[in-house]
Amino acid sequence: MDFLKANLLTILIFMPTFGMLCVLLAKGRDAIRWTALSFTILTFLLSLLLFVTFDWNTKGVYGYSTSGGVVQMVQETSWIPAFNIKYKVGMDGLSFPLVILTTFICLLSCIASWNIEKQLKGYMALFLFLETGILGVFLSLDFFLFYVFFEVSLLPMYFLIGIWGGPRKEYAAIKFFLYTLVGSIGLLIVLIGTYLFSRSVIPGGTFDLVTLASPEVQAKLAGVGNWLKVVPIFFSLAMVGFLIKVPAVPFHTWLPDAHVEAPTPISMILAAILLKMGGYGIFRIAYPLFPEAARSLWFIVGIVGVVSIIYGALCAMSQTDFKKLVAYSSVSHMGFVVLGAAVMTDAGVSGALFIMISHGIISAMMFFVVGVVYERAHHRELSRFGGIATTMPVYTGFSIVACFGNLGLPGLCGFVGEVMVLLGAFQAAKPDGILRHFGYATRGQIYSLAILACTGVVLTAGYMLWCVQRVYFGPEKAEYKNFPDADARELTVLTSLAIMAIFLGVIPMGVFLFTNTTVAAMFSLFQVR
Amino acid sequence: MTLASIGLPYIPGWNELRPFWAELILVASIVSVLVAPFFSRKSNTLCALIALSGLLLALLSLLLIGCEHTTGTFFRSLLLSDPVAYFWKILLLIFASCIVLLWFVTASPSLHEGDGPEFFTLLLGATLGMCLMVSTTHLLMLVMAIEMASLPSYVLAGFRKTHRVGAEASLKYVLFGAVTSSIMIFGVSLLYGLFGTLQWPDLAAKLLATTSGSALLVVGLSGLIVGIGFKISAVPFHFWCPDVFEGASIEVSAFLSVASKGAALLLLLRLTQTLAQAGSFADSSTLGTLAVLIGLLGAISATVGNTAAFFQQNIKRLLAYSSIAHAGYMLCAVSLLIRGNRAEAGFDPSAAAAQALLLYLAVYLFMNLGAFSVAGVVWRETGSEDISAFAGLGKRSPVLALCMAVFMFSLVGLPPLAGFTAKVNILWALIQNGSYWWILVGVIGLNTIISLYFYARVVKVMYLEDSEAPEFVGQPIGLALSVGSAVLLLVLFLGWNGLTNLTSGYDKLYMAPAGNAVPGMADVTPHPASVVLLPDAVR
Repeated sequence: MDFLKANLLTILIFMPTFGMLCVLLAKGRDAIRWTALSFTILTFLLSLLLFVTFDWNTKGVYGYSTSGGVVQMVQETSWIPAFNIKYKVGMDGLSFPLVILTTFICLLSCIASWNIEKQLKGYMALFLFLETGILGVFLSLDFFLFYVFFEVSLLPMYFLIGIWGGPRKEYAAIKFFLYTLVGSIGLLIVLIGTYLFSRSVIPGGTFDLVTLASPEVQAKLAGVGNWLKVVPIFFSLAMVGFLIKVPAVPFHTWLPDAHVEAPTPISMILAAILLKMGGYGIFRIAYPLFPEAARSLWFIVGIVGVVSIIYGALCAMSQTDFKKLVAYSSVSHMGFVVLGAAVMTDAGVSGALFIMISHGIISAMMFFVVGVVYERAHHRELSRFGGIATTMPVYTGFSIVACFGNLGLPGLCGFVGEVMVLLGAFQAAKPDGILRHFGYATRGQIYSLAILACTGVVLTAGYMLWCVQRVYFGPEKAEYKNFPDADARELTVLTSLAIMAIFLGVIPMGVFLFTNTTVAAMFSLFQVR
Repeated sequence: MTLASIGLPYIPGWNELRPFWAELILVASIVSVLVAPFFSRKSNTLCALIALSGLLLALLSLLLIGCEHTTGTFFRSLLLSDPVAYFWKILLLIFASCIVLLWFVTASPSLHEGDGPEFFTLLLGATLGMCLMVSTTHLLMLVMAIEMASLPSYVLAGFRKTHRVGAEASLKYVLFGAVTSSIMIFGVSLLYGLFGTLQWPDLAAKLLATTSGSALLVVGLSGLIVGIGFKISAVPFHFWCPDVFEGASIEVSAFLSVASKGAALLLLLRLTQTLAQAGSFADSSTLGTLAVLIGLLGAISATVGNTAAFFQQNIKRLLAYSSIAHAGYMLCAVSLLIRGNRAEAGFDPSAAAAQALLLYLAVYLFMNLGAFSVAGVVWRETGSEDISAFAGLGKRSPVLALCMAVFMFSLVGLPPLAGFTAKVNILWALIQNGSYWWILVGVIGLNTIISLYFYARVVKVMYLEDSEAPEFVGQPIGLALSVGSAVLLLVLFLGWNGLTNLTSGYDKLYMAPAGNAVPGMADVTPHPASVVLLPDAVR
């Protein structure tokens, strides 16, 4: 048990890679499928073990020490001593829910991948490799290690979209790759630059995210020559890297293409987890490492967030393709995450973290819902659907749970996060809010952003309800008459996701329990200076 | 030795030969390769084996002798030996051995019996020249070493005698080569005329002391840079590169892509760093101009190489442009001639540049070797060098396709592959120096994004396009080279620390103290006359 406790995170990260090797050795379609499934189940079970080993009572300050801080279960070995690069993994309230989400969604999308026919072995191998990459991103506490995993997760995604995708798969795959690489290069420069500055503060320098974010190091860094001048550049480069991944509006155009072309299970992973890597990066790296710039540039970030919310919703409204609609609604929802970060209030950040989880569940469900109907109808034209409620009543019931979750109906998990972010945005207008306190924001700026963001909620309701009406209701159509209702496999996925959506909607503490301490600790960083 | 006492003018002693055992063994193997056909009918394979064993023996001798006690100048300062040269020789010998192995894959079946001895004489001769290129600061020796490396390369490029493109490539190569080397020799003679010495360290000190930049000096230095730039194939001296790579057979292209460029880059590094050391890395007008010039060459080479690669249909042309781009990245490292005014305390530009360059070469060697090996195997199976021949390779030959994907992504510089290590290492050296080198960091960053597109195109063709062509496993040696290189790229990434430590152990360039050089054959006394075109040695 001690061994397991000490190495749990490492085992968790590399379990899918081990699974990949087993899949490569497996013979026969069933063997491959069952091997892959058993490894995703195993990874999921391992991640559930974290509930046992996680210390729920920590009240530390972000980044003081490895054992007593909010970062837990740290495992650390030297990797490249020449640059003081470590293999350091650990977990706190920020990453815990995302890890559980990752293993959960990967398990479900493995089930959703059951009917993949083409080159099954390659598919499952890449799928498992992708899971390793994502878990690595969420669990690494070394900037360099983070970057490596961030990039590693690109490669399998490129192939998964490129080989198993739809008609324009090649275009979509390379577009996804190029966009993300643009962001990564900026991030690489930030990475090396930050290390260079850290060398004048810590002997030998460090890539350790916890150390770099700690108030002492930040205070020392502020004293180093050009640090305060380069911080806005570093912050902007890092934010662009993460905003491309999120994706926020000027950088979002890869997303609809990638989603439309990707096969259903990959769309689920893309929307539910891969986008969260961007959001996670914002909260793990951009904000804690460069808090000064985060404060002074908040308005730009806020505008990006609000534009994403509104523009994404408007785009979603005008789509004729069901999957594209869901893709644009992702842009819109992730805009709330960006806004929640920008306003730098307790509620805003908590809400943003909550949206990352709730959107993970709902968007996975939405994409699965689209996938189910696409498999039967072989098209996704919204205008050609109609009356599916009568032929597939059970499926329609689940679909409506997903759609209402997406529009933010109270009682489902989509609601909580959005309300929290909007509350947080209004809270920021109080004179003791960080932004007001440091004099970077006026009440007018904050109110205008917050009010604009509220219109996004209305727009969301608009396109979702219209979509439900066009697809599920209306007169029964002859061409959809013989569609079988959801089968056992599909029901498994839908039920699990629906349960989670309702659970988190009714008991949002399920997420806040994790995040509260961490958010509090993070704010202690922002308020130091 | 007693021979010296007889009264002969100069006989090198054993201790002077010690650092150059590898070269001597190479000479011996050249002779053996020439003699071998008298004793065997199957001379091709025999010569290949002799060449291989000669190269491995030379490698072994280097490893046995080590470089701790062999640093310094030898043969009256005509040659020198230092850790950088030592490391390069090891890389080069490993690489040349792999090229001989690759020869078995690509050239061996179609080569006319009896052509083997010629081929390996030329290959070993070029290798010898490239060893010497990095072991000298004497301008006369330098010109000779470059010629020694170039002349065999011209012939190697046109070795496929019945191949029209090959003949054209060879002709193009030789014409370009002749023009640039004559410009170089002209430049060198001007420099000698101006300063009365052929020893670069002395010349460097005098050059920096000159306050008035004369036109002759500019022409002289530019001539030298043109000569070396041609070997590096830096833009605008790169026009030969794609044509030669396309026309030459695959193992020759592979050889030229790494060996010839690497030797020239290290030569340039040695010359410029000697100059920079003489000016103690201060921002003087000469050094400043030189740094900007080299940085510019690097930036332009990288950009032109990467953009031109977009449109290539032939895998060898694509790799040619890719090699121009990578030479550009490496030139960026060579441009570290001045301490940036915001450089970190204790930052040694010379060591950083040498280390970055050596590490890059060590990684680049395996990326290119692997890529060319895969191209060789595919060519052997399909008879085509077009990228379209790779279509559906993911299904037809999964192992080979996976290896090629590894090489392509490594050439882009993506983790978890060693290409990333090499690129980050160069960026790190540039960022440490700060100031204007940040621009080069940006250039390399942008180029990485541009380059992804065409490298990924090869991957796309292999995995995303279908083909009816038959499945194949691939020639075993070629397969072994590919898989070996691919695995090594992964291992080198994980063993980043070892790689860094290894290369930082060999990053010291030997700097002859200016003015104190042992009087060499050409430097008895600085000549009083300002323009003397004939070196003393010749008179």
